[in-house]
Amino acid sequence: MSSLKDITITIDGKECKGVFGQTILEIARENGIYIPTMCYLTKVLPIASCRMCVVEVKGVDGFILSCQEKATDGAVITTQNQELYRERQNIMKLYNVNHPLECGVCDQSGECDLQNKTMEFGVDIQTFTAKDMARPVENWGYVSYDPSLCIMCEKCVRVSTEITGDEALKVKFGGYSSTIENVKKDKNFATLGEAASVCPVGALVDTNFKYSSNAWELTKIPSSCPHCGGGHDVIYEVKKGKIYRVSNEAEFSTMCSASRYGFDFANENVTKDTKAFSRAIEAFNSAESIIFANEISNEEALILQKLKELKGYRLISYEARAYQKFMSAYSKITGKKLYGGDLKTLSKSEAIIIVGTRVNDDAPLVKYSINMASKHNRARVIYMHPIEDSNISNIVTQFIKYDAGSEEGVSALLADTLLRDIEVPNEIRDILNELDIGNLSAETNIGEEELEDLTKSLIKKDRYSLVIGADLYSHPRAENIAKLLALLEKYAGFNLIATPPAGNGMGISLICELDDEVKGKTIGYNVKGDFTLSAFGGGDLDMPSLIQQEGTLTSIDKRVVPINVALDYGGYILNDIANELGLKSKYTIEYTKELPLESGFKNIEFDSLPDNYSITGEENRGYILSEINTDIDNSIEEPLEFEGIDGAVIYNCNPQEHFSPFTAISKILKNEPNLLGSEQFAIAAKLKDGNRVKFVIDNIEFSRVFKIDTSLKGTIALNPTYDMGLSTALLSSYRFNRLEKVGS
Amino acid sequence: MAKLLFSTWQGEFIDNRGKSSNEWSESGFKLPETYHGEKNSKAFIGWDGVAIFDEDIDAVELANQYASQYQKYSEACGRCAPGRWGGKILYDLLDKIARGEGSHDDIAHLKEISQTMMTTSKCEIGRTVPKPILDLMEYYKEQFDRCIDAQIPSKHYNGDISYIAKITAPCTDMCPAHVDIPAYIEGVRDMLFADSLSATRQTMPLAHTCGRVCPHPCEDACRRANLDEPISIMELKRIGADYETDHGLGWQHPYPPKPLKNDGKKVAVVGAGPAGLTVAYYLALEGIKVDIFEELPVNGGEVAVGVPEYRMPISKYQKDIDLVLEMEAVTIYNNHRVDANRLKEIEAEYDATFLGFGTRLSKKVRAKNENPKMGGYWGAIDMLDKVNLWNKYGIGSPASNELKDKVVVCVGGGFTSMDVVRCAIREGAKKVIMLYRRDEKTIIRNTTYEEYHEAVEEGVEFIFHSSIEEIFDNGERIEKLKVNKFELVPDPNGGRAQLVKIEGADFEIECDYLIPAVSQSADLQLLPEEWDMKLTSWGTILTNGKDYMTSKDGVFAGGDCEYGPMTIVNAVGQAKRAASVISRYLYNGGKCTLTDDEIMEDHLSKLKVYNKNEKITGWMPNIPRQVSEKLGVDERKTNNREVNLGFTGQEAIAEAERCMRCYYISMVAV
Repeated sequence: MSSLKDITITIDGKECKGVFGQTILEIARENGIYIPTMCYLTKVLPIASCRMCVVEVKGVDGFILSCQEKATDGAVITTQNQELYRERQNIMKLYNVNHPLECGVCDQSGECDLQNKTMEFGVDIQTFTAKDMARPVENWGYVSYDPSLCIMCEKCVRVSTEITGDEALKVKFGGYSSTIENVKKDKNFATLGEAASVCPVGALVDTNFKYSSNAWELTKIPSSCPHCGGGHDVIYEVKKGKIYRVSNEAEFSTMCSASRYGFDFANENVTKDTKAFSRAIEAFNSAESIIFANEISNEEALILQKLKELKGYRLISYEARAYQKFMSAYSKITGKKLYGGDLKTLSKSEAIIIVGTRVNDDAPLVKYSINMASKHNRARVIYMHPIEDSNISNIVTQFIKYDAGSEEGVSALLADTLLRDIEVPNEIRDILNELDIGNLSAETNIGEEELEDLTKSLIKKDRYSLVIGADLYSHPRAENIAKLLALLEKYAGFNLIATPPAGNGMGISLICELDDEVKGKTIGYNVKGDFTLSAFGGGDLDMPSLIQQEGTLTSIDKRVVPINVALDYGGYILNDIANELGLKSKYTIEYTKELPLESGFKNIEFDSLPDNYSITGEENRGYILSEINTDIDNSIEEPLEFEGIDGAVIYNCNPQEHFSPFTAISKILKNEPNLLGSEQFAIAAKLKDGNRVKFVIDNIEFSRVFKIDTSLKGTIALNPTYDMGLSTALLSSYRFNRLEKVGS
Repeated sequence: MAKLLFSTWQGEFIDNRGKSSNEWSESGFKLPETYHGEKNSKAFIGWDGVAIFDEDIDAVELANQYASQYQKYSEACGRCAPGRWGGKILYDLLDKIARGEGSHDDIAHLKEISQTMMTTSKCEIGRTVPKPILDLMEYYKEQFDRCIDAQIPSKHYNGDISYIAKITAPCTDMCPAHVDIPAYIEGVRDMLFADSLSATRQTMPLAHTCGRVCPHPCEDACRRANLDEPISIMELKRIGADYETDHGLGWQHPYPPKPLKNDGKKVAVVGAGPAGLTVAYYLALEGIKVDIFEELPVNGGEVAVGVPEYRMPISKYQKDIDLVLEMEAVTIYNNHRVDANRLKEIEAEYDATFLGFGTRLSKKVRAKNENPKMGGYWGAIDMLDKVNLWNKYGIGSPASNELKDKVVVCVGGGFTSMDVVRCAIREGAKKVIMLYRRDEKTIIRNTTYEEYHEAVEEGVEFIFHSSIEEIFDNGERIEKLKVNKFELVPDPNGGRAQLVKIEGADFEIECDYLIPAVSQSADLQLLPEEWDMKLTSWGTILTNGKDYMTSKDGVFAGGDCEYGPMTIVNAVGQAKRAASVISRYLYNGGKCTLTDDEIMEDHLSKLKVYNKNEKITGWMPNIPRQVSEKLGVDERKTNNREVNLGFTGQEAIAEAERCMRCYYISMVAV
């Protein structure tokens, strides 16, 4: 691209500054000038189907499409005049030709762009007619499509292509009979909910929401995703104590499917059970350890930390602890408390390496960003993992398979390969020089030519990203892996994202001094303990779910984002217990401003946290953690030899729609928690499709139906963990395990 | 032959109605008055007007049918509000009038909707469809009025006239392979890169190749040039092709090959170059058995052994080659030299034979003492064979054994000579000189600006207005050359400037190698004498340029051996047409026929789709054409790395957004 050149244009008499490359519409919006659109969607590239945004440019014949055409220096633009109004009015007339008038039963009514613009352009008579045709409604699973309502703006297709990357929706051309088609109906992608969320009319809607409520009767409660760790905005739409659907600021942001459809996890009809509360206080007084899942707010994490300081509890949260240790080792190389990367930079990368995460399932928002980089920048995407993922073959340009367990060797090979021509401190160069590449190559099963291809992919590219994930945090050599990979951020300029655990794992890791092992009696919070606090109901004392609390979460973008009460909760909360035990705080959110400064949190009141997007889509939600410097220690160990994991292997991995027992209880999200493996796995594990198999990981017994998944290859099967209720958060070991059957 | 009765084509207004035949005016355009053979056209209607050849024309139904084509056309439309709804309203209203149910209000609405479509539609198809309809409504108003006032159907509403339509675009028309360029560019804009490639493959199997080394005649017919600069059409083709490689995609074509017919019919193809591969591809798509005979151990013809690695990496070309050779219906026989006797056998054995053996004999420079057997005299084709067979396949030995530290003189001026000099640099020659009879401007026109400038950067010395008079040797090797200098003397009468030798300006060049790359000729010795095959005056195989059958029944020819040394895309275009003709020839008793689509294609080429004087409206001018990054001179001149890095994603999309989607519908009534 040509370098950024400042330009000045005049829109409706107002002088506006911009840079070359910006469209007329972008500059107009930045300057608060309104140009009507029907198909424009800020978060994707211009679609240019509606033609409503036409403007006039002095000296240029004809109408100019402001959404797509770049502004040139000195252009003088008129956005409103009679001729433009007339054409826009005619377009609105066209949109209304044969558009069904049963707005009363349309889900979109009340928030429909077609209704709004029809009013705006005073279309009170229809001068055009066309013979209509039969267009049957289609149910695609999570979403339903009514082509007779569709205005063919193509926003949904763009979201499917450009953001979620499921590439299920396409335009089927053909004049008036053109329509949107789902070319991957069999997959029933939950991400189609993201496509539906940008539909300006009622053509593409959530099947589950259809005909359930008028849009204007719903109260919108802004919050943040409790599930995926991405911390994206969500809006709970509530009526009479019930959530009808979850929406978001879809003009600018995109949600994970778990938050769109997994919203029915509130702990309902709870009252203050004083007896249970007394028992809880007793239990806290006799417990030595508190063990908890990731689905708590920053403020709750701080309460637990303060209780630790007050009462000496051991705080146990396995995933967060693993992440904490990993990041602590990581910061020894970079000198920064957290990784330097963020999703926006990732989405603008030209080359991306992914290691140690089945990213499509582990982190939907990360996958979206990688897909955007692939679509916008033709990014080279190098996916390194023991299991190939056919769901992202449209994004990945090179798959490098390594042996499960060899992540330390993989990290060393990457560091060696990518730092070869880069200046690094002598002690690090010495370490790299001592690596036995041949041996690492043999252990990891990564060929040198694969690394050569990888290097070639990066030639003449800038804007590299590295995405790493949970396979590494739970690895026995996590800390050395962290240091090896941190070198790439520090010295090779990688935009690095260490995908945090789901829920609020990042917040917990930054707020709590976590311990490694349980001692004595335990309090479990959303985990089975000797005394169990549970937001699922059925524990020893009920707790509110994240949908029933206010507070903050910490996101993958290192952003502290607010959550709000969507549904009321009548029982006791953690703060009540804490107050009883000696802390003093009327409301949980009084802790927001006390979140630890030394971890980058800021001294800001909960009620002062902003929660909006600017007109051009700048996210202004909560705040971004301050960058915290840490001490540097360049010592890195030589990778240890490791024993391969032979035979049939299982990999703990949830499907994209699921993260925890809170999504497992969703009635809308569909998934059978089966063990999924290839034919080859079936042979290795001596299993047949439909067999039940039992195995134990971290003392948790799984009983799974085995299903053959023909999209998988090799001898590693996917084992979901989200449905294990109060046991899920007890999983702590490395994600790959040899399958040891304990029965069937 | 029909006579032109009325025309509004491209602003030329002719109305011969009611005039005596000696008062009739003629059109300056090559309008399709005769459709095909004996069949006359009744009317021609298209993006820039309407022409009527028959008194009996039903203007209402003509307009109606034209509007209906817009509904049938499935590639582009339904993608903007004015096009999707407007086009349908246009058709419905016209049909209402044509069937005798219309009103004068409908005429008003037609004009209104036409206005909206013409100002705001996304592509030219929506912007141009109303134009000839409005012309008909104006100049054949009485026919519209009659239908409305009497409430009767128009006179040919019953369907007794055939209408043949064709979609084109200026770029598509100019491309010898008629690639659906707006579709593949839209694929890039929509970020549906596989769809982009599929669109290319409809008429162009060699997407990797023609996304890299095509001289892109299409860009000379890009309407965007009327506004600022043409779209970088060729480089956008590469995006879809590279996507295929990057993601290891399977079959990319709008539909899968038909099952192998297994009916005993089979076609022989001589030469696995661009023409041969293309014929095989489109025949195999139809399920027709094809055997290819290739003289070399490697496939791809001149693009493989002629075009150097740094311009056309073999790993990419191989994708195109494998695409064809891996088809079920295709068998390749390598190291299979076809001579005249073998060709007779093949012709007897196969139901049709396609000759695509190119032009692989280097022509001489025509200097005194020119002896091709003399040491140091090295024909361009042989030299490039050696370079490429080694660099791409490890066959033979490096040409640097010969060229390192040597002085190399090449005589040429076209692509082949550029390949020679730039390869010589890469093989380590001490000094490389290009002698060219004409000037710098001409060499750029014959090749490309980039090609010439990159050669200069790499250190090639160009001596213009020069030619070799005499070659001196020591009996074993060439030692030096005597070179004449010329000047261009303008013709005072305004004719073409003449090259005149400058007396006393002769000079000598000491050199080790002389590589003539002036032109190549076809090896006609492989044609059996008794066939007495008709040839062109420039020594290539003669066909009629439409069905590509030679004077020998059942033997077809295409590519360089038919046309003379030309471009890949030309070979592909000819071969695609030949494949289509052969596919019918095999099953209709040996007749050569063209489809309506092909007949229309030829009409449109004659008429010319691109109008360089047209004023463009509705687009922001001065949006610069994107330029892809190239390797720096030091990064490239000692190796064979691909010089052109191709567009980044952002560049590609920005360039695709400049495309104005100049789809047009044309239609003939017969």
